[in-house]
Amino acid sequence: MNKIYTSMILVFALIVIWTIYLTSVKKDDSLTVRYYTIEELASKEFSISSVKVGGLIKPNSISINDKDQLEVSFYVYQGNDSLKVYYYGIRPDLFKDDAEVVVAGSFNDNLIVATELQTKCASRYEGDLKNIEKI
Amino acid sequence: MISQIGSLALSISGGLILSTFFFLFYYALKKNKIFLDVSERGLIAVCFCVILATLCLLNELLISNFNLQYVSQYTSYETPLFFKVTALWAGQAGSLLFWTFIMSIYSLIYINVTLRKIHELKFWSYIMLSFIFGFFLLLSNFVANPFEPVSSDIIVQNGNGLNPLLQNVTMAIHPPTLYLGFIGTTILFVMALSALISRSLTFEWIQSIRRWSLIVWTFLSAGIILGGYWAYNELGWGGYWAWDPVENSSLMPWLILTAFIHSSMIQEKRGMLKSWNILLAASTFLLVILGTFITRSGIVSSVHSFTAENLGPLFLGFLTSLILFTVYWFFKRFDLLKSDKKIDSFSSREGGFLYNNLILLLMCFIVLWGTLFPIFSEAWNGEKIYVGASYFNQLNVPIGLVLLFLMGIGPLLSWRTTSKSKLLSNFKIPMAVSFFSGILYSIFFGPIQLYPLVTCMGIAFTGTSISNEFRKSYNKSKKKDGSILSTFGSMMLNNRHKNGGYIVHIGITLLFVGFIGRAFEVEKEFNLSPGEEIYFANYIFKLNSIKSEARDNHYAFISDMDVIDQSNNLLTSLYPEKRIYFYWNPDPEKRQPHSELDIYSTMRKDIYSIFSAYDAEKNQGYFKIMINPLVNWVWIGGIVMVIGSLFAFWPSKRRDYGII
Repeated sequence: MNKIYTSMILVFALIVIWTIYLTSVKKDDSLTVRYYTIEELASKEFSISSVKVGGLIKPNSISINDKDQLEVSFYVYQGNDSLKVYYYGIRPDLFKDDAEVVVAGSFNDNLIVATELQTKCASRYEGDLKNIEKI
Repeated sequence: MISQIGSLALSISGGLILSTFFFLFYYALKKNKIFLDVSERGLIAVCFCVILATLCLLNELLISNFNLQYVSQYTSYETPLFFKVTALWAGQAGSLLFWTFIMSIYSLIYINVTLRKIHELKFWSYIMLSFIFGFFLLLSNFVANPFEPVSSDIIVQNGNGLNPLLQNVTMAIHPPTLYLGFIGTTILFVMALSALISRSLTFEWIQSIRRWSLIVWTFLSAGIILGGYWAYNELGWGGYWAWDPVENSSLMPWLILTAFIHSSMIQEKRGMLKSWNILLAASTFLLVILGTFITRSGIVSSVHSFTAENLGPLFLGFLTSLILFTVYWFFKRFDLLKSDKKIDSFSSREGGFLYNNLILLLMCFIVLWGTLFPIFSEAWNGEKIYVGASYFNQLNVPIGLVLLFLMGIGPLLSWRTTSKSKLLSNFKIPMAVSFFSGILYSIFFGPIQLYPLVTCMGIAFTGTSISNEFRKSYNKSKKKDGSILSTFGSMMLNNRHKNGGYIVHIGITLLFVGFIGRAFEVEKEFNLSPGEEIYFANYIFKLNSIKSEARDNHYAFISDMDVIDQSNNLLTSLYPEKRIYFYWNPDPEKRQPHSELDIYSTMRKDIYSIFSAYDAEKNQGYFKIMINPLVNWVWIGGIVMVIGSLFAFWPSKRRDYGII
């Protein structure tokens, strides 16, 4: 084996191992975040510093602070389980009842303090036809 | 009527693929050339049927035939004409047909130009093309048929309309450009494997596949940059790249294709690395299919949703069969791929290309690992773990910086080996300029951040090295009576491949200028009533008024905000809007808000404004302002890259230009 190839394969292998180590063993909060289902967190009394959760916004649960419209709390649900989410900041355009959202932040006794709030965009347009007449 | 023709054309093309397979099988048995010719015609007919079907769907979109499910889902009477055309690729079924449409055009060129010159590739090319066409036609005919009528018990009075986020000129150009790149990799795959299987890795073949790869690379690069441009100007999170799985899916084939373009040069010049090149060329297509699988299966959560019908298992099956096919033939033909030559020295041009390959491959691995990590981790212990943008940045930024320097080092190395004295004399000037600019940077920008500093030095190093190359070849082509312009012209045209490549490298260096800006972004969210002002990042933002206006297809709240700089001069006025689409709908659930940004853009920085919400009771607007330095350099770099690669592969008069 040529010296030049050997050294390159070595460098490659080292960085690959380092990448796998970072994500699988070290699991630094700044690098990875675990995705939980709402069922796993609902009515649980413990805290996790970094979580990611996806679900639908519970209808009529959005409450916006009158004094500061950037402050909002709402419930996300999936099936029968739901979770309260608190978020401060600009909300995406599609944020409304029954919108599909992904929130990331910290979890503490049944409440998620979200630092990230995303809505799925195009899905609305993939849905059922709206202006129809039944024959 | 037209829709029936389209539907029929789709079914016929499916039938034609089956018969093409049959003729190919017959040819394999009897070796009678007539069967090969017939299957060629079969494939050409498939291409024309697909083109016809696409035109039919386009027609239905334009005349708003809401009897078709697809047309009523993605357009409405209010959709402007231009966006009725773009609705062709807005949804699952249409975009799959559009995919096959582009593949048809590529295939027609491949069959009629490339295969006319390289006959040996015909048989296996037809087999692979038929298989790939077969898969996509299967999807279009049976899984996501764009000609599917709406259910018979309803009449659609008006369609749903196109998502306002997609009603934007960039979004109209971005998907087709990216598709041209993605689907072009099909030809690379077919060409690489058919040459491998038929044992014809000739010089003509490597030249031709290089030509193809440059075309595909141009589209892929342009498509990725346009995607970033769209995200930046339309989505309102102030960035152009978020390491979203779908973005990653387009970056991975780009990285591998870039690696291929470099390493195939070693094969062209010195006949080495044949097996490696075959693997790279085939992998670009495999990565495209992997990316399509990720996008269309919904297996990894992404903001780009495409999950109306789940095509995941089908794409996974397709991908698996392609991988098995590649691996099987790779090992079966391993004898063919050995080269007796070796790379002689670490400090040779070949070595430089190998380092380039190493780095691009590493980046691709990091992106791939990060994108698929949720799947891996869930399979491993049931915990779905996502990696964030910081993972990609932490790993890719330092590796990317090595690549930046390498772009400057490459041209300084000679083929085979570079002598120590030459190495030293070549490196002297770029090194000096690099250090000097590092010192200047530290003086002007005070507190030293490591990455921007190194990037700045890298840009200076690579910039100097490439300009030096241009200077050398300028001196070479200088004639006694030649003017500067004519010397420059003949120098550029003399070696288009090389010069085009250097222009691309300048473009990438400019991209890095833009990347530096990411380290200095600042943002603020606040509320203002008309007449009020706020101080942020050395500017005063003064809200003059918020007006409202009913327009053709939406209702808009328009803010009027002055930006005043430190010396109290009016810098600009920004008019970000809050729009409500479908505002006439009595059901508030069906209206759709949309924030239209306004950006004040200069070469030094962008002032990016978002009008996020309007409180009518208090007459108060909620805004987000971001200061994004140097973003324009990213777009300029992108344009230079595309110009460079166009320059490199544009047919020249002197050479036979049918080589593709």
